[in-house]
Amino acid sequence: MIRVVVCDAGPLIHLDELGALDLLGDFQTVLVPDAVWTEVEAHRPCLFDRMAGAFIRVGPRHPPSASLVALARLMPLHVGETQALQIAEEHGADLLLTDDMAARLVAKQIGLPVHGTLGILLRAVRRQQRDPRTVADLLRTIPSRSTLHIRPGLLNEIIAEVESIAG
Amino acid sequence: MTTSVQVDIPDQLVQQAAILVRDGWATDLDEILTDALRRYLISHSAELNEAFIREDVDWGLRGQG
Repeated sequence: MIRVVVCDAGPLIHLDELGALDLLGDFQTVLVPDAVWTEVEAHRPCLFDRMAGAFIRVGPRHPPSASLVALARLMPLHVGETQALQIAEEHGADLLLTDDMAARLVAKQIGLPVHGTLGILLRAVRRQQRDPRTVADLLRTIPSRSTLHIRPGLLNEIIAEVESIAG
Repeated sequence: MTTSVQVDIPDQLVQQAAILVRDGWATDLDEILTDALRRYLISHSAELNEAFIREDVDWGLRGQG
C-alpha cells in the first residue's frame, strides 16, 4: 500500500494542466518539498490555494547523504529534484513522483520506487478513480493542454491500450 | 569531425571549470563542455524516456499500490 508520496514539480504541474490533480488525493500523504513548492507556485500560482490541505510542504531535516550529493552532481539535477529525492529518503517514502529522467535514474539507483504523471493517469483506471474512456480522452489532450512531452506514436499506443480496457 | 558553437555561460560556471582545468582534472573548457553535454544526452535519451513511460504504463494499469 502506498502511504507516503513525495512529489516533484513536474507531476503537480502536468496533472494540474490536465485538471487531474485530484488523482493524488488517493494517497494518504503527499509531501511537497520546499524547493518544489516554490517552483510550482511560479508556474501555477493558484494551485496550492485551490488544493488547500491536499499537500504537506516539507523541508529537508538533514544535509543530503553523500551518495545523493554525488549522484546529484553526476546527473544534471535541479534543486527541486534533489530535494525531492532527499525528502523521499528521509521520510521513507513509498513512492517518488517525478517526470525528470535524471531524477528517475537517481531514484532507481538509491532504491526509491518512482513513477511519473502518466503512471498516475493510468493508475486512475486501475483504482477506478476514472473510467477508461475518460482517461483515454484525457490522454488525447496531453499535447494540447499540458507541457508533458510524449512521442505521439507512443501516446497513441497507450491510448489504444486504455481503450481496449474500455471494450 | 567537430562543430563549433557559441554559447553564453554564467561566469561562475566558467570559473569553476577553469579551476578544474588549472588543477589538471580536464584538458580544457572544450573537454568539460563536451563531457557535460554527453552526460546530459545520456540521462535524457529518447530510449530512456520511452522506457520510463512504459514502466508507468505497466505500473499504472497492472501494478500494485
